[in-house]
Amino acid sequence: MYILYSFRLAFQSLWREKWINLLSVLTIAAGLFMITLTFFVVYNIDLATKKLPARFSVMLYLNDGLSEQETGDVIALVKKNNAVEQTRYITKDKALQELKGVLKNADYILEGLGENPLPASIEIKLKKESVNIESVKKFAADIKKIKGIAEVEYGEQFLNSIHSIKGMAEAGSLSLIIVMSAGVIFVCYSAIKIAFYRRKEEIETFKLLGATRGFIRAPFVIEGSVLGISGGIASAAAAFAFYYVLFYKVTAAIPILKILVFPLETFPALLLCSLLIGIGGAVIALGRIRFS
Amino acid sequence: MIHFSNVTKFYEKQAAVKNITFSVEKGEMVFMTGPSGAGKSTLLKIIYLSEKPDEGSVTIAEWDLSKIKESSIPFLRRNIGVVFQDFRLLDNRNVFDNVAIALRIRGMLDGEIQEWVMEILKMVNLRHKADSFPLALSGGEQQRVVIARAIVGEPTILLADEPTGNLDSDTAAGITRLFKEINARGTTVVIATHNKELYRNTGRRVFRLDGGNMVGEELG
Repeated sequence: MYILYSFRLAFQSLWREKWINLLSVLTIAAGLFMITLTFFVVYNIDLATKKLPARFSVMLYLNDGLSEQETGDVIALVKKNNAVEQTRYITKDKALQELKGVLKNADYILEGLGENPLPASIEIKLKKESVNIESVKKFAADIKKIKGIAEVEYGEQFLNSIHSIKGMAEAGSLSLIIVMSAGVIFVCYSAIKIAFYRRKEEIETFKLLGATRGFIRAPFVIEGSVLGISGGIASAAAAFAFYYVLFYKVTAAIPILKILVFPLETFPALLLCSLLIGIGGAVIALGRIRFS
Repeated sequence: MIHFSNVTKFYEKQAAVKNITFSVEKGEMVFMTGPSGAGKSTLLKIIYLSEKPDEGSVTIAEWDLSKIKESSIPFLRRNIGVVFQDFRLLDNRNVFDNVAIALRIRGMLDGEIQEWVMEILKMVNLRHKADSFPLALSGGEQQRVVIARAIVGEPTILLADEPTGNLDSDTAAGITRLFKEINARGTTVVIATHNKELYRNTGRRVFRLDGGNMVGEELG
């Protein structure tokens, strides 16, 4: 078995060029850390938008003077729509009461109004899959056709903004992750290419003595894996420091940041990715080994 | 064991060997001789697949070199021990490791390697130099390390390119004795040399080359 010998060759080579390799590891670590932070941002944006359906609602304002029967008919028709998850009927009096609750000590501004100016309304929670711009627009248009509904309101601008922020963040992050990953692979590629050229004569001799491609490649692939995983460990350490500072130090000063989530699965994934990047860089650097 | 049929090899339109035909039987020891540039090294390179012939066909131990798959080349090379003219020793490894590499490539275990390499070093009288590095050895000692590395894997064919090139006559005689011993064990030996002393009175076949042509065959 030549695998132990391959490990020996790989570690000898890593040690011989220890400073260049250390620099490569730190560069890989920096790249992976940037990828981790980007992933953290995307993850939290995604999480926030996933919570949106639970908080999102559509308000239907009813015409004044609808009888109990007519109101019941409207609610029944609304409930028939497939996008509807839940409805809540708010009478004129309840609406005023809720407004007073919101205004708290400033409820004096409602004094002297005489008649209650607020319309009765229906608050609708939509099904998760229906909370997107197209579905909500269509729902609003359909529902507005029901007789007895005066107005439909759902914060179109807010929904649009959230969607475009999410889209931009995802596209930007994906681009950054691709660029940074390519950079990290290139660092591994360069490190292995240099090691390969440094040992070119030796490799030629190995070939003439009957070495297979596996025997020649193995030490370099091990070298690439070690560089990659070392970078991964360093970036995981940096990511852990970031996690610790953010969740134990910064949140004490800024409690709102407690809503942020750092997925701990990132750590094993980071190590696996760094290993694959190291192997990938080495394999690309070695290319096709020819014997004649 | 080795069969060349009308083999020609060009280097930038200049023929290094032209229309060469010869055969070497299993267990035979032959010499190739001729002045520098005669094509001796090219013929050896074709045998160990470092060069491909442009014309003609070559068969080595039942392997037709024109049909051999690239992935099979390492396995054919393991049957051919080569004493390179420029030694090709690994300067950053000691004598033991230089010889052992031929066995590591074959996937042999460390325990077997230790035993086998020391046995071969004893045969070439270099056991006491096992921990030395190539640059600390004399030319004759380096040559013997290369021979040890070439034969440690028990190849069926041993090729030697100018094996006594820069050696004094006593050391050259010792190297020649070594080749005869190896041949006596059944290994086919092909030696390229311009040193007449090496083949004189050996009774072995000598192929004479000049300007890339096979100009004659005689008994040494």
